[in-house]
Amino acid sequence: MTLDDDVSEVLLTEEQIRSRVAELGVELSADYGGRQPVLVSVLKGSIVFLADLIRATEIPVSVDLMELSSYGSETETSGQVRILKDLSGSIEDRDVIVVEDIIDTGLTLNYLLRYLHDRRPASVRICCLLDKPARRLADIEIDYRGFEIPDRFVVGYGLDFDERYRNRPSVYGGEDPGP
Amino acid sequence: MAATLTDATRPRFAHASEAELARILDFYRVEWRYEPDCFPIAWNASGAVTESFAPDFYLPQIDLYVELTTLKQSLVRKKNRKLRWMRLLYPEVRVKLLYARDFRALMIKYGRHDFMVQVFDANTVGAPGPMAPQAAPSAASAVVAA
Repeated sequence: MTLDDDVSEVLLTEEQIRSRVAELGVELSADYGGRQPVLVSVLKGSIVFLADLIRATEIPVSVDLMELSSYGSETETSGQVRILKDLSGSIEDRDVIVVEDIIDTGLTLNYLLRYLHDRRPASVRICCLLDKPARRLADIEIDYRGFEIPDRFVVGYGLDFDERYRNRPSVYGGEDPGP
Repeated sequence: MAATLTDATRPRFAHASEAELARILDFYRVEWRYEPDCFPIAWNASGAVTESFAPDFYLPQIDLYVELTTLKQSLVRKKNRKLRWMRLLYPEVRVKLLYARDFRALMIKYGRHDFMVQVFDANTVGAPGPMAPQAAPSAASAVVAA
């Protein structure tokens, strides 16, 4: 598979990502020493980041996955977000780390955080690989940030366009959306 | 949790992009109000308001005003100027301006290519960015060379 010119610019190399993920793993291990946090990730974009992140940690961790319906994927766009896959286990009194691939508007995460808080975790922190603050609408306090990126369309390392490019090891950027 | 707005209570939006943003906010259960407040930004010598700014949306859970601008560049400049005054006069009020490029990017993100083409063909004069597909089939081919 090759990438078209529109997304051929490497924003983050494989090595940059590997290095930063390793640092995040060390940070998490230090902050959660003696505890066993549960890393909650949202399918599908975060799976590559999650897989690398848990291997970069040196503490016992649990993993759980959720899937939410996305706006626009619904035939009826007047609906509301739905949980397509719920948590497998209880997070009550657990330390939760939400692992996200990218935070853009923050609307999905805003919903997810409210959902998780209703399940009475001991704590909730956020770890994201890519922070794109340009279009942020919901206030999101990011505890562990991989990279802040400009207002670019990105694919690779789990992020897709029409389900493609998730398997690319680097993060590629599309052209600026324009004026 | 967002109030569920029925069609009966849904406001008459000035632009299709505003209605679409309202649907997105509803989808993610973010409560919103449409043009709930108007902020004076200029006065004449006698103190009468001569210019004001009414952001399109207020999101009470987030305490954020959102202004959508998917219009001509000349109008964008006017809105930018208003926003500068707004931020100067009301520094405690948080306002987010979403430009046409932001809205396009949102539509791409949500796969709403048909809506984007419909809205931008009809209303936007600003040149579509390279990211903007012209139609759904070319949206894929724009970035793919498998």
